[in-house]
Amino acid sequence: MKTARDVGLLYQRYLTQLLRNPVWVIVGFSTPILYLALFTPLLKHLVGSRGLPTGNVLDLFLPGILSLLAYASGIGPGFSTIFELKAGVIERFRVTPASRFAILFGPILAGLVMMLVFDAVVVAVGYGFGFSVHWAGLGLLAVLLALLMVTTAAWSIATALVTKEISGFAAIANGINLPILLLAGVLLPISLGPAWMRVIAHFNPLYYLVQASRVLAGGTLSGSAVWQAFAVLVPLCLLVLAWATRVFRTAVA
Amino acid sequence: MDNVIETRDLRKSFPAKGGPVDAVRGVSIDVRGGEIFGFLGPNGAGKTTTLRMLTTLLPIGSGTATVAGFDVARQPKQVRKRIGYVSQLGGADELATGRENLILQGRLYGAARAQVAPRAAELARLLDLAEFADRRVSTYSGGQRRRLDIALGIVHDPSVLFLDEPTTGLDPQSRANLWDHIRSLRERGTTVFLTTHYLEEADVLCDRLVIMDHGQIVAEGTPRELKQQVAGDAIVISLRQEDHEAERAAPVLSGEPYVRELTAEDGQVRLYVDDGGAALPQLIRLLDASGIGVRSISMSEPTLDDVFLRQTGRSLRESGGGDASKAGDRPATSEPKEVAA
Repeated sequence: MKTARDVGLLYQRYLTQLLRNPVWVIVGFSTPILYLALFTPLLKHLVGSRGLPTGNVLDLFLPGILSLLAYASGIGPGFSTIFELKAGVIERFRVTPASRFAILFGPILAGLVMMLVFDAVVVAVGYGFGFSVHWAGLGLLAVLLALLMVTTAAWSIATALVTKEISGFAAIANGINLPILLLAGVLLPISLGPAWMRVIAHFNPLYYLVQASRVLAGGTLSGSAVWQAFAVLVPLCLLVLAWATRVFRTAVA
Repeated sequence: MDNVIETRDLRKSFPAKGGPVDAVRGVSIDVRGGEIFGFLGPNGAGKTTTLRMLTTLLPIGSGTATVAGFDVARQPKQVRKRIGYVSQLGGADELATGRENLILQGRLYGAARAQVAPRAAELARLLDLAEFADRRVSTYSGGQRRRLDIALGIVHDPSVLFLDEPTTGLDPQSRANLWDHIRSLRERGTTVFLTTHYLEEADVLCDRLVIMDHGQIVAEGTPRELKQQVAGDAIVISLRQEDHEAERAAPVLSGEPYVRELTAEDGQVRLYVDDGGAALPQLIRLLDASGIGVRSISMSEPTLDDVFLRQTGRSLRESGGGDASKAGDRPATSEPKEVAA
């Protein structure tokens, strides 16, 4: 009860901070739109060839963008945590009786809400260019996107608290960005790659989301990719949240 | 009144390359209710580490600490409800207004929305923030921001307020203004625990203080008691450095019965006498008779720096510590070079 109230307070605070930062809002909205506008034309002629499915290019590509957005939305809170650590904000909250989980989860929830708004915009724009909308599939996909975003955000916030410096955190975040994104088949399906790549991809949480996202966006709710994604992302999310809360509870010197 | 803060043999060390660093090495203090209690020491003395342990931000290494009647290690939640803490960084939200900051802070302490708005208004009035309470914090001056930080620290009317270097970076006027606000907190019954490396701040603001160096307490008492330990007046004699006059002068002067303590280095002799006025002419005559050329002589009543110097063999001003006069509060009465004990 108290935890939910504290989450609400800190969620509200973080969302207000986000919305008062116009640069952030503009970049946040334009990035997914740029992906759609600048990458889709490259794929137009690939559809139907080399093992890619036929149909509108967006049906293949847009779910990947949503997955990418979930991952990117999760990394952002890590950077703002470093900033708030430096500004003394985290310490100010930690010395209050506010729930430690709320100090972690309030900002994550705000980031999640913003992500879902961006997702809706991407889907709406995509729809205008021929993306076929399957509501039930997108609804279930939203749950998976939320799971990955929360997992990534909890990880990035806790890593920020442990590294404490922007340089250390940025090095780790950038270091894992590329392998995570390339080994997930975000932009092109991993099935195009060699066998070793397909094996390694199975250690990447984002891979399961991307696989499931294509199935769900196509309107299929019960594919094996879907339950696999839930089987990987639900426990992972709980595990990372528990670890991150622990990091808040123990010393952040 | 009962002790609001009690620590016994408080210790903390941090792992580091080449073995652990002992930041706090056995601090035992008693802070009484309703007093302004100070931790004076140079940067790196362990003041902030101690403060962070007392405010539940850092796990206690060993020893015990009780704050507002609760054990810091075992009952951190109870402690948090009863203390306010203002870090060196402050930590107010820049993109929010002062009032929004106060309201959120109050609500995080569990107050209902209806209680919090009048409390925010009251605090804004109390700390002279009312005029710009609805402006964003990013537009505040240093002094205004510091007053908001303190308002955030007392939004729940804590029994103890911890202030970490509250006036660092403020101009002399804002500093004096903040001192007035801190005193008025004491008048309303709040115990204030502050760290500072400013000698004058400790002297004029604190009811009692401890002097800390290398993680240990080296002296404790009221500013007056501490200064009385260094009885009499401090006299600093500057001599011609190139002829090693200070080394020549030291044995001449230390033979005199009224000279209590004497240190000589870098062309300066520093000594303490009971009655400076009477001793000065004699000292000058002695040096003159020995053919030692004096460049200047200054005399001052002992400061807390003299206490620090006596306990540690170093001057606080030279120990990476502060000097309130740097910010223009008053001219330094003595500027000893590093002095060997």
